[in-house]
Amino acid sequence: MNWKRVCAVGEVPENTLKKFDVDGLTIIIANYGDGFQGFPPLCPHMEEPLAESGLLEGGVLTCSKHLWQWDLRTGEMVGMAEKPLLTYEIKREGDEVLANMESELVYDYDEEDEMDDDNFFAAD
Amino acid sequence: MKIKVQTKSGEFEYDCEQDEILLYAGLRHGLTLPYECATGTCGTCRARVVEGEARLEWADAPGMSYVKQEKNEILMCRATALGNCTLRVPAKVSEGINHDVLPGYRNGEIGNVRLLTPDVMCFDLSLDQPVTFDAGQFVVLEAADVTGGRAYSMVNYRRDTETLKFVVKRKPDGKFSNWLFDRDVKGKHVDVYGPLGKATFHPDDGKNVFCLAGGSGIAGIMSIIARGCEEAYFRDHKGYVFFGVPTVRDAFFLDELSGFVDAVPNNLEVTVALSDEDVPADLEKRFPRIKFGAGFVHVVASERMAGKYDNMIAYVAGPPAMVDGALTMLVLEARLPGTDIRYDKFT
Repeated sequence: MNWKRVCAVGEVPENTLKKFDVDGLTIIIANYGDGFQGFPPLCPHMEEPLAESGLLEGGVLTCSKHLWQWDLRTGEMVGMAEKPLLTYEIKREGDEVLANMESELVYDYDEEDEMDDDNFFAAD
Repeated sequence: MKIKVQTKSGEFEYDCEQDEILLYAGLRHGLTLPYECATGTCGTCRARVVEGEARLEWADAPGMSYVKQEKNEILMCRATALGNCTLRVPAKVSEGINHDVLPGYRNGEIGNVRLLTPDVMCFDLSLDQPVTFDAGQFVVLEAADVTGGRAYSMVNYRRDTETLKFVVKRKPDGKFSNWLFDRDVKGKHVDVYGPLGKATFHPDDGKNVFCLAGGSGIAGIMSIIARGCEEAYFRDHKGYVFFGVPTVRDAFFLDELSGFVDAVPNNLEVTVALSDEDVPADLEKRFPRIKFGAGFVHVVASERMAGKYDNMIAYVAGPPAMVDGALTMLVLEARLPGTDIRYDKFT
């Protein structure tokens, strides 16, 4: 566990998301009304910057580039999304939002490219 | 030559001719290879060459920013094979393209050229073989004197037809549109590949229809409304069309749109939004079947559509900024699920 303070609760109004840098790692915090969610800054599809392309409504995050969607309340993919959204563990302490940022969450395209992955053919 | 594609849903093989675009060869064999613009800008058809050699026909294509060239990646829509090849495609693929609308190659002769505004023209293409397409689809046109193909949506809707109708806006740096505007193109021939595109209308969707178009983006929307009217779809479903142009001098197809409304005045509404001027006083008198508003088209639509999104499917086509604004509105205000918003991403 490596809990780090990301922001104050009031910095991310309901139904919005905002990008933060915490000790060299970039995280997006989304306030979906019933709580907060934290995830890496790029869409898992085509590396679109979610701080600009991400839309939040009714607990669902939409990347407006190709309308991939995820339900932030359950973590499930919605509609046309073909890859899950990686998320950081988030908790609130008083007026602060903390994320467990033990290691940076990255998608296959960043490190082991998905096309190099042995699981390339595995069903989602 | 033989092209093997390794995909997330298994391996497929198809034949590809010498100098044939890899994407086009796969699609005409019925494979649902991923693509959107099919002309080098959107990056959706990214693939990796794992065996054999491919040649990039447009190395500076905007969509190349999505491609890792050091890993031998290509855009299938702008690459040809130099021999047998194996490609990896990071998507689920099937042999599922409906054979009624299987894309293929044709040649077309330009005719019936008309200027609709100073920088918008329409024309017909008479094809050497008939084609069937879905309302909302596009084809890629290529002229011998201009490098590379350009995507244009059909304005008309017909099954098994030898006539395709188009509307083209002149773009300052658009080589193909300048080619069309700068000479008498009547009787000129262009190569045609298609039909393409998934932002299509099917009456069995059974939903009300909301269309948002900017400028020449109205082309595919005209096709959708034409099909809806022909098949009496708007007897039982609502249709809302919002068409954005800068000024009334940039507007076109107003008589045709009035004609659609005339056929189903109770269920079809057409609103023209003028972004750069107030609505001239006489406009509503000249076009009594059409409503007018001032402002960006997605903003006008947002104001007038509140509370009307029940059982709705949305179609969006136009310049990138308008598409972005429309998608934001449809997700955040209309709260439509992504699967009920149809558009082809050209950027």
